[in-house]
Amino acid sequence: MIQLTNIEKYYANKGVKNYVLRLVTTTINQGEFVSIMGPSGAGKSTLLNIIGMLEEPTYGTYHFMGEDVTSLSERKRIELYRNHIGFVFQAYHLIDEMTVYENIEAPLLYKKVGSAERASRIADLLDRFNIVAKKDLFPNQLSGGQQQLVGIARALAAQPSIILADEPTGNLQSAQAEEIMSLFKKLNEEEGITIIQVTHSEKNAQYGNRILHIADGVVKEDVAVLS
Amino acid sequence: MFKLNLKIAWRNLWKNKVYAAINIGGLALGLTAFVLMLLYINYEKSYDNWSPDLKNVYQIREKHDFFTPDNKEHWQEISNSRIAGIIKESVPQFTAVTKIDQEWGNGFSVKIDHADPVMVKGIKDADSAFFNVFPYQFIQGTAANALKEPNTVVIKQSLANKLYGTDHVLGKEFKLVRWRDDTGNSLKITGVIADVNTPESIQFNAVSHTGDQDHDPDQIGSSHYTQIYAKSEGDIDTLSANKSLQKVYVDFKKKSFAAEKLSFKDVYKDGKSPGLKAISLKDVHPNPPFSLNWLDKLKPVIGISIFLLVVSIINFINLATAQSVQRAKEVGVKKVLGAYKKQLILQFLIESTLQSISALFLSVILIEILLPAFNHQFNITLSFWHNEYLFSIVLQLIAVFIVVTLLAGCYPAWILSNCNPVSVLKGNYGNSLKGITLRNVLVVFQFIISVTFIIAIGVMHLQTKYISGKDLGFDRDKLINLRTGYDQNFADKIRRIPGVQYVSTTTQVMGNAFNNKSKIIYKGREVNLNGVTVTMDALQTLGVKLVSGRLFAKEYVQDTINSVVLNEAAAGLLGKNMVGQTYGKVDYQGKTITFQVVGVIKNYHNEGFDKAVLPTVYKVSNLGGTSNTNNLLVRFDTKNYKGVINKIEGEWKKLYPDFPFQYQSMDDAFSEILEENKRFMNMIVLFSVVSVSLSLLGLFALSTFVAKRRTKEIAVRKVLGASNFQIVNLLNKSFLILVVTANLISWPIAYILVKKWLEGFAYRIELPLYPFLLSSTISIVIAVLTVSIQARKTAIAEPVVALKYE
Ligand SMILES: Nc1ncnc2c1ncn2[C@@H]1O[C@H](COP(=O)(O)OP(=O)(O)OP(=O)(O)O)[C@@H](O)[C@H]1O
Ligand SMILES: [Mg+2]
Repeated sequence: MIQLTNIEKYYANKGVKNYVLRLVTTTINQGEFVSIMGPSGAGKSTLLNIIGMLEEPTYGTYHFMGEDVTSLSERKRIELYRNHIGFVFQAYHLIDEMTVYENIEAPLLYKKVGSAERASRIADLLDRFNIVAKKDLFPNQLSGGQQQLVGIARALAAQPSIILADEPTGNLQSAQAEEIMSLFKKLNEEEGITIIQVTHSEKNAQYGNRILHIADGVVKEDVAVLS
Repeated sequence: MFKLNLKIAWRNLWKNKVYAAINIGGLALGLTAFVLMLLYINYEKSYDNWSPDLKNVYQIREKHDFFTPDNKEHWQEISNSRIAGIIKESVPQFTAVTKIDQEWGNGFSVKIDHADPVMVKGIKDADSAFFNVFPYQFIQGTAANALKEPNTVVIKQSLANKLYGTDHVLGKEFKLVRWRDDTGNSLKITGVIADVNTPESIQFNAVSHTGDQDHDPDQIGSSHYTQIYAKSEGDIDTLSANKSLQKVYVDFKKKSFAAEKLSFKDVYKDGKSPGLKAISLKDVHPNPPFSLNWLDKLKPVIGISIFLLVVSIINFINLATAQSVQRAKEVGVKKVLGAYKKQLILQFLIESTLQSISALFLSVILIEILLPAFNHQFNITLSFWHNEYLFSIVLQLIAVFIVVTLLAGCYPAWILSNCNPVSVLKGNYGNSLKGITLRNVLVVFQFIISVTFIIAIGVMHLQTKYISGKDLGFDRDKLINLRTGYDQNFADKIRRIPGVQYVSTTTQVMGNAFNNKSKIIYKGREVNLNGVTVTMDALQTLGVKLVSGRLFAKEYVQDTINSVVLNEAAAGLLGKNMVGQTYGKVDYQGKTITFQVVGVIKNYHNEGFDKAVLPTVYKVSNLGGTSNTNNLLVRFDTKNYKGVINKIEGEWKKLYPDFPFQYQSMDDAFSEILEENKRFMNMIVLFSVVSVSLSLLGLFALSTFVAKRRTKEIAVRKVLGASNFQIVNLLNKSFLILVVTANLISWPIAYILVKKWLEGFAYRIELPLYPFLLSSTISIVIAVLTVSIQARKTAIAEPVVALKYE
């Protein structure tokens, strides 16, 4: 599904190249649950952003579902966002002016899903995440964990084939974190959604089935998780 | 999606109520000023537009120098009455020609049966052809027959209703008394015409045909000046018509000069030339013969209202971009959810449209509220809903609205939709925000406008103070003008009333200045002076100041023969020590008369301060020609002259029962002269106040946003130990630079504008420095205060709140 070949990323500062990623080559298949780990500043977020096409690599090739992403038009990329990629952020990034319901509805509107279909999907998600009672509240009226649930529900609404999550539990207590991790595991196992997450927690990484260890922009280790 | 966007827009507005209100209110003010201007311009453009047939009506203009304010040649609306006959005879393009007498004085007296006489303005005396030229619609009577006979009158429906309470007035008669001892004409109403729905350049309430306009003066040397209008049958080539007019005019002039034994060359020298032309009626109003036309007069105001609109648009843009910090996250998230840039731009355009629509509604309400005051200020009758041209005005308004919405909405929409999702989602959008430079430029621009306005107000205020305190050269206290001719019998009667000090007349006094050119020969040199005829004690009545020599007095017999008094301007043209000197003047028979100067007086003002006092010679004698005066000056020796005026009115009623008594105090005449300037000043003050408050509101809102944006930074600094004062300073510094820059730029701009305005006055102050200093101080102080209030609020907030929130 994802094929990275010799991905490099550097920031030029006063003529000095500061490498963030060096010759990263890896393949992630449909249905995997990958955790990216490593020390702070290692380049984890950068790698995830490149996978999510939020940033461009300075060098290297990237194929997403068999398509070369570097030559992708803006319109095509947006189509990918609409149909295949769901993002989950550490800081939740819900839209403050929208209610819970509307936040979840937004990607469906962009995808031009019919209103009946929309209502049933949202009802389903609200129900599944146990936030039906909160549907008319605004994000600042929710706790952090609840906000992240909404964030995940939003990412799932468009029924993506892959979810990219950058420290999705970074701001949460361990109980809440566990809840979210088992949710990811369930999504991965039952619905076959590919999940790539960045995490600092060894425990969270155990929910997945593969761990990429990164240090100084280089993939040091690529190990499978035994369950 | 659309519904949701609308909802979000509404929630955003609601969340930022105060700023939204500032935004919408500001834009509404700007729009209001602009729309008022649009209405005004539409009004001015609608002159003489009440019938499609008017396109065949022309005004005849003759180039001459009689009755001009500066004694120079102008294309004038009044022409020698003989020209009408000549056009009828020898210019076949024009099939009908009519003469309309000028209106003298303050209206005419209308006496219906035995009722008290009432003054009616706008009764024009014409010949019988008036309705052959002007296509008025008759409610009663017919255009062909109404003015056929002498002593007939056609009145407008509105006047009929006013005088009689009905428009069924055909065949009724009233007595028209045009001046105080006019025996009057009994006029029969032979027609009632409908009032027209656009303003007219010939304003009238009734057209009389007394018969006076049917013939020209008998003597070849005397002429009667009237307005002349002509009608063509269908479209004509005005160029060739004007060629014919010019040719017949030159022929006519040559013939009449020959009869008067004048040489054509002698009259038309020094750059003077004969001229006669026809201008289409629709060009009459835009081209007044002496003053600036309305568009030129209005230019500064148009400029100002455009500026106001621009200032409010700038506010709009500034606040919207400032707010974009808050909206950036929304944009970033929407982008990764799969929103097209187009959709985002559309969303923000919808938001600004929502605001500008609110502004539009508000401004329509404001216009309704302000129109009466505006009409009063400009002495016109504008209306919005009842406007003839509502449709075209609404179209213009929609055009303005679209432009404003696009201007105000596009930039913020573009800025927002362009932001990069990664940096936004990383949370450092504020720093990567473009548009800061533009916002600063816009703030500077706003302040340039405001500071320039403040300087202009300052200078205008000083000049106005200077003018209203200026020595007029005569004593305007305890002096009234009865605005009527001088009659020895009546003058003697009121002289006997206790409290009356002087009674006299002059052709020229403030409120009724009539300039009459008088060419003299002094030491072989020809000099043009302004000639004023006075009675013996007129100069004493006015209370002018003597510089040397003496004023006229009964004791000197020669004063009724050949004595003259000069004003300083005239004396300055002729030479030093003028008292006792003599000069010559050629009269119309070619004889040279010698006049002796007996005194020189200080210049005194008759007209606005935009005009210099003309070099003038005053004489009592009727040697060398006199002019009719229409002023009767009365000076009192008591402050409480109300009672004295009542007594004068009593005498008046006995002598002139058919003409109402009227007078104007010199104080009022003076206020009238100041009026126009005062109006202009008021308007500038009004616009400036609006513009300055808009700019300040904008700055206020902007500083709030900036403070908000830097909330985290401020909280951190406080935790690190910064004092509130230091934090306020920190925020002030960035704005202060902008305001100072604006001041530096606006000084030269204001200097040029204000200097130009002052140059319009013949009497003016030296350009003062202190309005400049004052406006800079004011702008800086207000800006600092505004920003400080906001900054302080943020500074004294508990840092925890900000840090926790992040
Ligand atoms: N815009 C930028 N300019 C220069 N250097 C940058 C920029 N963005 C990121 N970096 C650098 O790239 C490196 C990797 O950043 P990245 O955000 O990927 O780290 P990370 O592994 O996610 O760390 P953390 O666990 O702390 O989130 C860092 O050293 C950072 O300094
Ligand atoms: Mg990171």
